[in-house]
Amino acid sequence: MNWTDKLYDFDALQKPDWEPKGLVFDVQRFAIHDGGGIRTNVFFKGCPLNCLWCQNPESIRWRQDISFVEQHCIQCRKCIAVCPVSAIKTDSCEERVTGIDKEKCILCGACFKTCYAGAINIIGRWLSVEDLVAMVNRDRDFYVASGGGITFSGGEPTGQPKFLLAALQAMQGLGLHTAVETCLHVPWEQLEPLLSHVDLLLTDIKHMDPERHGALTGVSNELILENFRNIAGLGIPVRVRIPLITGLNDDVANLQATADLIASCKNVQGVDVLPYNRLGISKCHQLGCDYALADVAPPSTESVEATADLFRSVADDVTVGGM
Amino acid sequence: MSQKQTVQINSAVADHGPSDRVEQVKARFLTYTPEVCPERARLITESYKETEALPMHLRRAKALEKVLAGMSIFIEDDELIVGNQCSKPRSTPIFPEFSCQWLEDELDRLAKRQADVFLISEETKAILRDEVFPYWAGKTNQEYATSLMTPEALDAQGAGVFTVGNYYFNGVGHISVDYKKVLEKGLEGIVAEADAAKASLDCADPEDMKKRQFLDAVIISNKAVIAFANRFADEAERLAAGADAARKAELLEVARICRKVPAQPAEGLQEALQSFWFVQLVIQIESNGHSISPMRMDQYLYPYYAADKENLGAEKVQELMDLLWIKMAGINKVRDENSTQAFGGYPMFQNIIVGGVDRHGEDATNELSLVMMQATANTALYAPSLSVRIHEGTPTLFWKKAAEVARLGLGMPAWYNDRVIVPALLSRGLSLEDARDYGIIGCVEPQVGGKTEGWHDAAFFSMSKVLELALNNGYDPMGKAQLGPQTGSVEDFKTFDDVVAAYQKQMEYFVKLLCHSDNAVDLAHAKNVPLPFLSGMVEDCIGRGKSVQEGGAIYNFTGPQGVGVANVGDSLAAIKKFCFDEQVVSLPELKAAMDKDFEGAEELRQMLVNRAPKYGNDDDYADEVAVMATDIYCAEVEKYRNPRKGIFQPGLYPVSANVPLGSVVAATPDGRKCGQPLADGVSPQGGFDVSGPTATVCSVAKLDHTVASNGTLLNQKFSPDSLAGEDGLQKLIAVTDTFFKRGGFHVQYNVVSRKVLEDAQANPDNYRGLVVRVAGYSAFFTVLDKSIQNDIISRTEQVA
Repeated sequence: MNWTDKLYDFDALQKPDWEPKGLVFDVQRFAIHDGGGIRTNVFFKGCPLNCLWCQNPESIRWRQDISFVEQHCIQCRKCIAVCPVSAIKTDSCEERVTGIDKEKCILCGACFKTCYAGAINIIGRWLSVEDLVAMVNRDRDFYVASGGGITFSGGEPTGQPKFLLAALQAMQGLGLHTAVETCLHVPWEQLEPLLSHVDLLLTDIKHMDPERHGALTGVSNELILENFRNIAGLGIPVRVRIPLITGLNDDVANLQATADLIASCKNVQGVDVLPYNRLGISKCHQLGCDYALADVAPPSTESVEATADLFRSVADDVTVGGM
Repeated sequence: MSQKQTVQINSAVADHGPSDRVEQVKARFLTYTPEVCPERARLITESYKETEALPMHLRRAKALEKVLAGMSIFIEDDELIVGNQCSKPRSTPIFPEFSCQWLEDELDRLAKRQADVFLISEETKAILRDEVFPYWAGKTNQEYATSLMTPEALDAQGAGVFTVGNYYFNGVGHISVDYKKVLEKGLEGIVAEADAAKASLDCADPEDMKKRQFLDAVIISNKAVIAFANRFADEAERLAAGADAARKAELLEVARICRKVPAQPAEGLQEALQSFWFVQLVIQIESNGHSISPMRMDQYLYPYYAADKENLGAEKVQELMDLLWIKMAGINKVRDENSTQAFGGYPMFQNIIVGGVDRHGEDATNELSLVMMQATANTALYAPSLSVRIHEGTPTLFWKKAAEVARLGLGMPAWYNDRVIVPALLSRGLSLEDARDYGIIGCVEPQVGGKTEGWHDAAFFSMSKVLELALNNGYDPMGKAQLGPQTGSVEDFKTFDDVVAAYQKQMEYFVKLLCHSDNAVDLAHAKNVPLPFLSGMVEDCIGRGKSVQEGGAIYNFTGPQGVGVANVGDSLAAIKKFCFDEQVVSLPELKAAMDKDFEGAEELRQMLVNRAPKYGNDDDYADEVAVMATDIYCAEVEKYRNPRKGIFQPGLYPVSANVPLGSVVAATPDGRKCGQPLADGVSPQGGFDVSGPTATVCSVAKLDHTVASNGTLLNQKFSPDSLAGEDGLQKLIAVTDTFFKRGGFHVQYNVVSRKVLEDAQANPDNYRGLVVRVAGYSAFFTVLDKSIQNDIISRTEQVA
């Protein structure tokens, strides 16, 4: 079992009747910045937040999406022929396929199946725990040799709690190190049962001010901070990730408040400063949506280093870019 | 029972960067443009004219004697290790006795061609045209070898099924002499050995009469090298007279050393390095074979280092080693224009390997192992080639040093797996102790030094062309001629097994022609170009009274390389899946599309590219087919024997022959278009490895690397950020270690540079697997918008 096999497993497009089921949009082998060592990173679909800077915009919706990569399109027009709802968009002369009308698209997958060039993709496959076990077993030796393991990321993995719990239990059954990357905007009752199966939590602190947080991510940070402190109480190891977004959350006051929070939590093992990148732009184009931060530049090296230094005052292990 | 004494290794000995002297010598080195030097060609031609009545062994020895006595020598400022190959640094001698028609044809293009340019003066051209070429017409080794080949074999070579060009046009090289013996006994010791062997001959025995010729040749050539070293002593003394005090002392020391070695046993590190260098150098003046590989230098130089290290100090040791490295980079040879495609970048493949186990199975790492890795980091040149051996007991400090050098992006060291290579050599008849003592010749070819004539680079064989012929009933669609046996047309194939059977039959036919051609060239070398100086340093040539070319060595092999593992695997996997398992396209339909180079069938081609399983992604469907197709090649090669009473053994690496061999293969069922390069070594086809490095090494480890005992080659790309920091080193080590535990043979790492990313931007189809690795993010580089790609490209420049 391999993710490349699964990409063209058309059965995995349909919601299965087995439980627990997981909707996953990517499985990356040799992930190297998400929890230490060589890891396999499973990206869950669906997220309760909608951060302006999201670098995986295809992860946000709780259902499948469709994307169009223009560079790959060979203009064979087969998609136009097979689409039952005329959702394929063309340019004004009707010569070139330019995208997919998401209002019309019913995600039936007909165009995807016929798109041999790989320009059209349905984002999101239904995976079973057995599928995951088969995938991670492939790289088990690499995890052992490098101190790596498996990371559940997204999107928001805790948003599919039944599947995540079963997956975590299976991974622990294999003796693998487990990491979960979560935004923590999830009811404690939903989060708590998962925690005993997690070796490392990766969580973002995006902004300390509830209103600003709301403006940047679509939700207030109250639940997030409450969960963060609860987890500290339980002593579960956490790496805190700080997305550093130029002009939006990089003011000293906010960063200092974040550092103070971290200083108060003994379970924080390290801090990863993640400088804003514009990688989300391409994916937004492919999804046919607009990118909110088109004019925002990545932070300067000096600003990134200053931020890292600030956090070095409260944590021993501070990286730029993750570990 | 181990006889190794435990020596504490101080890794700090290898922490020294390049000295000012090294920086200066290197800066000067980089200013030189390769040129053609006419001296050797002129001298050897004169010598051959003088010796026409003599037996070939003596003619060869006298020719070497004349060249070494008559060629220009020089010592450059700041040099401590001396000895030059040509009248100018980085220039190339000419070896007309091997072949020279190509040179005559290409003389005016040498300075103008695309790759591996050599300047050539009008004066040199005139010498070659007037004095050299006329004599050699009809007398070269190449012409003799051709006369031994069947028309079918020549046709197959012409069509690009295989090429034996390397040894056909050049010397064989690909050897590691007994440097230890030279250091311990000196060349006078070898002369004495030859004298003793002569004394035991029966002068009336016809066989012994032949041996006497060879032994006389050994003696003449060794004495000629001793005289050559003395010329440098004279020159150093001459220069010393006009030098300032500091340089004068250095030059007088150089003079003292050159009077002593390589004639006598070496004492101390500088004497050992100088003795080594004269031998290494003269082997590359005697013959134009490349891949003269020093192999386990950290082992045989260690006693001289250990005795001298307190006296010299670590910085001086490093400086001497760095200077030797630059000397090695200065060796050069000119190849014909076609061969520069297969051997691009002035490579000489002088392979040095450090680490591994000793003859008793104990870890052999020592401080010199680390110093030699540091020398590669300090000099940062394309040569010499540096390799490392890995075994269960490889110490952490060795792993780390090797990983640190690897991430500099030089493509070195190459990593080798004792766990696979020792058993592979055992299975080819080496003793256990000899197998443990292996080193690497040239690119990736293992053997034990000082007693092997491995003929490792015997040919490049296009497995992909063979599959093409199997799908064309033996007809060559590119050359438009019936080339192979009729093994059925695509309309006749009812099952996938029928396709494989046709491939197998074509393979049998062409591997036989391949081995025939190699043996023709082999016989020619024995007759025309025996190498007495080289042979005196290879066991058991003196004892047997035979040159290595005639079978004087203890171990004899011939190793032709299969090229196109991934293409054949991916092609057969696509046929199996689409034409037979799923029947979405018939084989004749597929073949018709291929015949038109997929013109008007781009959808089909995209299906082949994107929907067929691909070797290199840890996908068993594709990998099993690749393994099967490769095994068929390997099993055929193993059936044959060479004239030196040795066996053929297969390898799977291309140097860069995947490019020229690909240029004569039409479109293939993996979606590759006509004329595109074949895949490199056992690496996946570029752009098809979309599952990351762990998947790639899992796939590659499925091949039988023990059977491919002439060597396999995996190139793996890493982005610089994935190797950053202490954690990055651990990841590189973990990938290597796991690959080797699973049965890998060789791997080398290329750090993705700005240049690669720019190429990926321009040619996205070749880089579909190139991943942008950012925390919590996953995407392929080639699907990003151009502006974002540019961001990443500019960032990469900062990191690397």
